[in-house]
Amino acid sequence: MLIRSSKQVSHWHTPKRFPVPINSDASATSRTEEGKTWPKPANLTRPHHLRIYRYDPDSDHGPRIDTYTINRDKCGPMLLDALIKIKNEVDPTLTFRRSCREGICGSCAMNIDGTNWLACIRPLDEVSDPVTVYPLNNMDVVKDLVGDQSHALAQYTSIKPWLRSSTPPPTHERLQSPEERKKLDGDYECILCFCCTSGCPSHWWNGDRFLGPAVLLQAHRWLVDSRDDVTEERLDDLEDPFKLYRCHTILNCTRTCPKGLNPGKKIAEIKLMMQQRRG
Amino acid sequence: MPERPRPRSPDVQIYRPQLTSVLSITHRASGVWLALGAIALVAWLIIVVAGGRAYAVLESFLGSWIGSVLLFSWTLALYYHLCNGIRHVAWDLDYGFELRSIYLSGWCVVAVSVLLTGLTWAITLNMRA
Amino acid sequence: MSEWKRGDPLQRNQPGGRATALHRSIGLGSAKAGASHWWLQRATAVALIPLLMWFLAALVSHARAGHAELVAWLARPVTAVLMILLLVAMFQHLRLGLQVVAEDYVHADRIRFAVTAAIHGISYALMTAGIFAVLLIALR
Repeated sequence: MLIRSSKQVSHWHTPKRFPVPINSDASATSRTEEGKTWPKPANLTRPHHLRIYRYDPDSDHGPRIDTYTINRDKCGPMLLDALIKIKNEVDPTLTFRRSCREGICGSCAMNIDGTNWLACIRPLDEVSDPVTVYPLNNMDVVKDLVGDQSHALAQYTSIKPWLRSSTPPPTHERLQSPEERKKLDGDYECILCFCCTSGCPSHWWNGDRFLGPAVLLQAHRWLVDSRDDVTEERLDDLEDPFKLYRCHTILNCTRTCPKGLNPGKKIAEIKLMMQQRRG
Repeated sequence: MPERPRPRSPDVQIYRPQLTSVLSITHRASGVWLALGAIALVAWLIIVVAGGRAYAVLESFLGSWIGSVLLFSWTLALYYHLCNGIRHVAWDLDYGFELRSIYLSGWCVVAVSVLLTGLTWAITLNMRA
Repeated sequence: MSEWKRGDPLQRNQPGGRATALHRSIGLGSAKAGASHWWLQRATAVALIPLLMWFLAALVSHARAGHAELVAWLARPVTAVLMILLLVAMFQHLRLGLQVVAEDYVHADRIRFAVTAAIHGISYALMTAGIFAVLLIALR
């Protein structure tokens, strides 16, 4: 099957996860257990099951996987609709981030059936039954599906994602030609959902020092902005065996981006810029 | 009351294997296996220099089933690493990053490596027969 | 790889740990190096493409060769030079590649330094041994 866009979910009976023990490498605090199976609704005409990662920091228990059943005939089309329905009608303690419900804010990013996507634009028709819902990978879990993004956001701040100019501010706008503006296409559309970064194996193993695809995509955005004057300094700050060069072109990022962006390609362009300035 | 450490959400335990990540880890695994093959290559050169009985022992080992399995695995690893390496160099030159191209080139690499391995071994076994 | 071996990126409650998440992600700053490693890895990779094609073709064509035939083939000047180039490119490529693997999976700084040093040392030693063996055959 030829993938044409990330919207496609493989319907082959390929393994849904690598054959490692489910709790391998998990410390005592992170070990997941089988949790509660919640009662089914009455008049279940079209059932759909969801297995959702749960963690309650106020309890003494560790993380667990709860199983819910919803009626598709009484639910909206997207996975987020199912989560909201569960929160409204079955279990009000289910916690997740959400806002725009149209795939532009990036709040509801989570791991659905093994790949990272936005819950509000993942149709229930395109997920398996039961669908496994986990928080974004390799993040400290605050509660249920809410991960602590402070490290990823700190990495984003560390690349200084603002215009730095050596000239005094002009009286009108800083002008940019359409060709120069076109260079930002594929970078500016990022909604910072962190689906890519949390799906990158290099970020799993070295996330403390590797910036990750989302941050590097934004670094590229500022490197190619014609109005920015500190390109040399930005490249110096990126040229590091860990910050940039932990990227091995695994390309899980491009595969998983729910906005159809291509962080892998942009990182390759940063690496080419590194070579270009060496002559 | 000390703050309870937060659990880390699972990563490799639950992430779906995809062509991107599977071919990438296979590239790494084949590279490490080939590194051991390079040690074997140097050992082979030294034994060729030594000649005589040492070489006779080596020849019989390479002819045995375990030697054949090792040589076959190194051939497959070499062809796969070579083909995927070319794919990597294309990416480094900023070619072939569309999702369709990534998948097409990926399947091509798998097919070509298997074919080349089969071809090499068919020719070699034919010659030795 | 394992969770308890990985440094906690938030480094909570660590003595001497840096205060804010921003400081922790900046760490000790950028090394301002790494581009030459990347370039050499790709240059040796490209060099290895024709060298390996030659080597595989030569091995297959000498599949039935005995010891004397092999030595005669290796003693030829063109073969010897190509073999030496192959050994150099191969061991440089594998040295850099294994270094990256060590950096990825070994997180304790001192152990990673020792493993990386061993990788460089052993690669150079094996490369030298291989070149020496080829020269012995070619110059005898």
